[in-house]
Amino acid sequence: MKILMRTITQFFFAAALLSGNLAHAQPTARSIEMNVDGLVCAFCAQGIDKKFRKLDATADVFVSLEHHLVAVELKPGQDIADAELAKLLTEAGYTLRSSKRIDEALSGVRARTEKP
Amino acid sequence: MLRILYLCVGLLPGLALAKPIAFQDGTSLMLEYGAGSMLETQAFYAPRYWWSAGGGLLRLEEENGAFSRDIAYTRTNLLLKRWNLPGAQGNVFASGGLGAAQGSDFNGTHTAYNVALQADYETRRIYTSLKSDWQGSSAYAHRIDTAQLGFAPYPHDWTVLATWFVLQARYYTGGLYDGIESALVLRLFKGGVWTEAGVTQDGKLQTMFMFNF
Repeated sequence: MKILMRTITQFFFAAALLSGNLAHAQPTARSIEMNVDGLVCAFCAQGIDKKFRKLDATADVFVSLEHHLVAVELKPGQDIADAELAKLLTEAGYTLRSSKRIDEALSGVRARTEKP
Repeated sequence: MLRILYLCVGLLPGLALAKPIAFQDGTSLMLEYGAGSMLETQAFYAPRYWWSAGGGLLRLEEENGAFSRDIAYTRTNLLLKRWNLPGAQGNVFASGGLGAAQGSDFNGTHTAYNVALQADYETRRIYTSLKSDWQGSSAYAHRIDTAQLGFAPYPHDWTVLATWFVLQARYYTGGLYDGIESALVLRLFKGGVWTEAGVTQDGKLQTMFMFNF
């Protein structure tokens, strides 16, 4: 009986611990911001948008000519390696200057860059 | 003959006013109407950002209906060099192609060729380009040099309508035109849809529509 009670207690303790961990590990929207040279025209943006949307890891794409910015919102648990980012932009005909990962959805990036 | 050569002035495609390659894995469809004497349609596909290939159909008509020309052609465009700068881009392109021309006033089919070089530099407010276009066949040969200067009254992003005013100057060899032909063009585009309309100093209207996807 004692062993059974201990087992049950351990089970519920483990379940509580696991659910707590899962709650902490709940992914928030995450994006990659890239500073890109050569972004001056609608076709520039259209080509990059088309290229990045094809990726399995991509949830959404935002291109800002004004800020020389390409941002990709990632699907939960997904990522795109820096080397892949540079390769994609080079294949599109542009130059990647820098990139950074941010804990912000594209809606936040849009709001930040579209401020008056 | 001179009238035929003059008609060929309208042979210049509307894409002379734009980059010959849009973007990788992009398809460009273009339709141009020129002053009642020229109607042209083109389709290009770019497997890479630095080259595209395609072709077109060109219909030329003498203004009084005395004769007409139908030219089918293929063309390849190459990006020879690109400079990507913060907020600017410069390019050098080369194009070349062959065509088959038929006319209502001659027998058979004539082979026509085209070779072009184009350089451009642009920001979100300023557009500049220079192009030299060599065209020839057994019936004619000439060169056309085009310079463009464009100005955007407001800086645009790609999700809003872009507006450009483009001043164009053109010089012809081969007796096509005396002096410099100038034109003013209004260009509007948003996303993959591009349209423009212009008028030359002789009051000739030309329009072009392009769709990229």
